[in-house]
Amino acid sequence: MEITHKRLNRVDLLSIEGRMDAASAPQLKQQIEALFDQGRYRLVLDMAKLEYIASPGLRVLIEARKRARDWKLTDLEGGDVRIANLPPRIKEVFDLTGFTSLFEIYGDTVEAVGSF
Amino acid sequence: MESLTVPATLDSLARISVFITDATARAGLDDHAAWQVQLAVDEASTNIIQHGYSDASPGEIELAWHVDGPDLIVTLRDRGRRFNPHDVPAPDISSPLEERQAGGLGLYLMGRLMDSVEFEFDDSQGNLLKMTKRIGATGEPAQIFELAGRLDAVSSQAAIARVYAAISAGARHVLLDMSQVTFLSSSGLRALLLVRRELLAQSGELRLCALKPQVREVFTLTGFTQVFAIYSTREEALRAFGREPA
Repeated sequence: MEITHKRLNRVDLLSIEGRMDAASAPQLKQQIEALFDQGRYRLVLDMAKLEYIASPGLRVLIEARKRARDWKLTDLEGGDVRIANLPPRIKEVFDLTGFTSLFEIYGDTVEAVGSF
Repeated sequence: MESLTVPATLDSLARISVFITDATARAGLDDHAAWQVQLAVDEASTNIIQHGYSDASPGEIELAWHVDGPDLIVTLRDRGRRFNPHDVPAPDISSPLEERQAGGLGLYLMGRLMDSVEFEFDDSQGNLLKMTKRIGATGEPAQIFELAGRLDAVSSQAAIARVYAAISAGARHVLLDMSQVTFLSSSGLRALLLVRRELLAQSGELRLCALKPQVREVFTLTGFTQVFAIYSTREEALRAFGREPA
């Protein structure tokens, strides 16, 4: 699995490529926690090139969104982890596990970044 | 019966994945069913690696597969602590984020992806997990294969081998999703023609969908658009199965 990080003005964009299983999921967890430690709580995860996800990856996503949403600047403005581009196989896992309704999912990164 | 014994460590997941990819291809599962088995076995292996053995003494996982009549059967054996599936609460997949527990999803997914999941425990032999997947029962009107990359003399052999395995296992309605194919050589085209001929001989049908422009051009230039049933989307192709002859 490869993660590419792009810092935008208000948002950090992480593009995830390859297979996210129990062996690789900790890599995403570390990268997200490093951003949280810098006070960066607005993340977009671009999954366009994610080929595979298993439950350890789902666990990282859920814990990340919980932590991001605990951070609030004002009542209207706070942290979140949002998702862009869900390939069919990944969407199927999201549907099976009820994750589709746990996340804000956008059709492309521009839309996802703009949602913040 | 094919088997593989690996240390129960996260590094082994990649080897397990290769072993299962070979199993599903040789058993003749289509790409969607192959992915389902792949994920179920990955989840099962992860559970053994993370919970079965103590970190101080990681043991082994013995994987095996065979085809029994209409089913692919995959077994995983470990000699770690006794696993009782009833000790794992089922996740509430409708609960909101704040109350959502992150655990238990692996076991839950295994049950959703496979046709049966059974656990046994024996004091001398340890845990035995047996999972089955019905071959050819995809719920779709056709078995779908996703071809990718360059289809030339060498690569088309490997890509098409899984389709032949599925035909031997009884597949008659086959859809090749070509959306990820970037190049088709004359050898690749010949390989597709042979699949079509094999299916016709078995009173089956072959359809193709989602060709990139440069691949579609090969069909147009050679006149093979008339020979193959080609559709723009997977949905369109699936709807056509059984309704009109290819």
